[in-house]
Amino acid sequence: MVGYKIKKGLLYAFLVLLAAACLFPFLLMMVNATRSGVEITRGFTLIPGTSLKENMDQVFKFFNPFRGILNSIIVAVPATLLSAYFSALTAYGLGFYKFKGNNFIFFMILIFMMIPGQLSLIGFYNLCSKLHLINSYIPLIVPSIASAGTVFFLRQYIISSMPPALIEAARMEGASEFYIFNRIVLPISKPAVATMGIMGFIGNWNNYLLPMILITKNEKMTLPVMMATLRSSTDIQRNQGAIYLAVAISVIPILLVFACFSKYIISSVTAGAVKE
Amino acid sequence: MKTVKKLLSLALALVMVLSLGVFALADDLDPEDPAIADLESIAEPNGDKLVVWTLAEDLVDFGKRYQATTGTEMEVVVIAPEDYPTKVQTALVGGETEPDIIVGEPQMLGDMFSYGAFADLDALGAQDYAGQIVDYVWEVGKDDSGVQRAISYQITPAGIYYRRDIAEKVFGTSDPEEVGKYFADYPTILETAQTLKDAGYRIFSSDSEINFFSGLEPWVVDGKLNLAQARLDYMDLVVALYQGDLTAYANQWSTPWYQAMSGPVPILTADIQNYADDSVNVWASEDEFAEATEGLQQAEVFAFGLPSWGVLTLRDNVGETSGLWGVCAGPEYGMSGGTFIGISELSEKKDLAWDFVKFCTLNEDVADWWITFSEGDTVSLKTVLEAHKDDENPVYGGQKLYAFWQEQAEGIDYSKVTPYDKIIGDAWGAAISAVKTGVSTKEEAIEEFYDTVAYTYPEIEIER
Repeated sequence: MVGYKIKKGLLYAFLVLLAAACLFPFLLMMVNATRSGVEITRGFTLIPGTSLKENMDQVFKFFNPFRGILNSIIVAVPATLLSAYFSALTAYGLGFYKFKGNNFIFFMILIFMMIPGQLSLIGFYNLCSKLHLINSYIPLIVPSIASAGTVFFLRQYIISSMPPALIEAARMEGASEFYIFNRIVLPISKPAVATMGIMGFIGNWNNYLLPMILITKNEKMTLPVMMATLRSSTDIQRNQGAIYLAVAISVIPILLVFACFSKYIISSVTAGAVKE
Repeated sequence: MKTVKKLLSLALALVMVLSLGVFALADDLDPEDPAIADLESIAEPNGDKLVVWTLAEDLVDFGKRYQATTGTEMEVVVIAPEDYPTKVQTALVGGETEPDIIVGEPQMLGDMFSYGAFADLDALGAQDYAGQIVDYVWEVGKDDSGVQRAISYQITPAGIYYRRDIAEKVFGTSDPEEVGKYFADYPTILETAQTLKDAGYRIFSSDSEINFFSGLEPWVVDGKLNLAQARLDYMDLVVALYQGDLTAYANQWSTPWYQAMSGPVPILTADIQNYADDSVNVWASEDEFAEATEGLQQAEVFAFGLPSWGVLTLRDNVGETSGLWGVCAGPEYGMSGGTFIGISELSEKKDLAWDFVKFCTLNEDVADWWITFSEGDTVSLKTVLEAHKDDENPVYGGQKLYAFWQEQAEGIDYSKVTPYDKIIGDAWGAAISAVKTGVSTKEEAIEEFYDTVAYTYPEIEIER
């Protein structure tokens, strides 16, 4: 019994240490958000500084971070939802319907996964420019309907965890194909969709290159683009505190989303591990 | 579906909470804004509008001031410097007419000129103003065929910032003219370093301080790589400083480098600096650093080599040594940075844009205001530099810095700058590091340097 307690004690001590190591950078970020640039370049400490107000003023001098958060949400939430829903739809179609060219389409998706997005940047800009979509959120949101990586992941998941008998039963009851997808396939693949959703949300939230190129109005910029402008100060040292503060503000929504949906990630790790 | 609903409700809740914190960014000027607070009246909107894409915060203030003075509405978009060239190129190649004003730093200008980003300022009458701006700045803004395409409001010549009190003790003089003689050329600097070490000081914090003064010869001449004797001498100097324990072994921009501005710092060893010995973390906090370096010899650092914007860096970091500093000339003339303003080739309001460019760069009142507002930036307009030549800077023992910088700027020969400088300079820096730390011999490092240049720029001819 004593041995068990010691073991448990050691284990907890180890876990606390691990947690501390993980949380330390966050703490440092919070502390640095309250210190001045000169203090930050002089080294780190865990004692909060007194420059929070100055940093806040400096951030607001460059941009309104709440406006940036709102803009980012306007882009990231619809993009994530569209990507999750349509990817699941495509994945189900590819996984469960037998038709000519199925494998060919799947193969094409695999190939598109491997092409980096930066390659088509200027072409994409020209397209948006011709369609008068510069400074619009549409080119940031709509293309996420076709996310090759998510389709690939969900297809594998649906094939492995979806009993075909369920779908056949639904068909015999007279359910339409679309109804089957919405009422049966989507709930069953929920863990995988949520996982891809969280990943997608973080990806969209942090997306920098495309909004940086496509958005040219200050009030329409997403948060990462706004934050990058802090680096344009002539004397970069002075803006260090403001940069930390902006980063601290920008992770709050990610933390919220993660806190709400992380339980799905955990369940998806175990789901599918046992095959029926 | 439940997930979707939850996601939606969460998103809506977030939007609601956030919209409470959102207030519209005022398009109107705030008369209290420091950039325009000193103006007596603010001009009424005249219906015109200019769009500025900038990589420097400065133009936001210039924009406000221009709007307040003329009534032209200014939309200034700030873009992170490293992404600025991509952003502008994508937009201009895509036919965007929106930015009227675009800017660039000297190293970006070559590329931007070559794809035709900047409009011809001569066509708008720029040559009427020739001679009013410090010469090298005027030259930097010209393209290969000599057409004026951009102008900067600032100059950025490099100088050696030194401690007057130490100079007095060791050399018996603190006069910038006299102290400059101890930095006259590379061999002299090496001697000076030894003298200072013997007196218990260190000449520099890092061995990169003379980098700003190493461009005596252009890197490329007539399509051929030019590894001049001056470059080899510079390599020898850095290696000698490093191997002879003549610096404080602090990396530029690291904790002890900043610390050295305000007082004594522990003298690190070569191994600590190149991370072979990890007993001391040079990026650690002040307390931790003090603990880790206990027992190491302490010394004060004599000098820093920085461009004119270093005036502000030192001012913020010198602490109690404020007033004890001076600035003298380095072994040769050098410069680094500066924001150049021009007009987009695709702008539909070139005349109005030219008025703004003139406002920022060629207007005496504005330049005068900028000196006060920026708390000591060095402007490029000759008449204003002249008017401020007797201004004394208290941080630098009352030295007349504007006169000094103007003098330094006059010596800069911009024809030595090539578009390859950044990459080739970095490769040469890597070669020097390899030699000084003993990773490779001088011959090996130079061979490797040739290789790097050869595969980065196949068009450059290399004579090995």
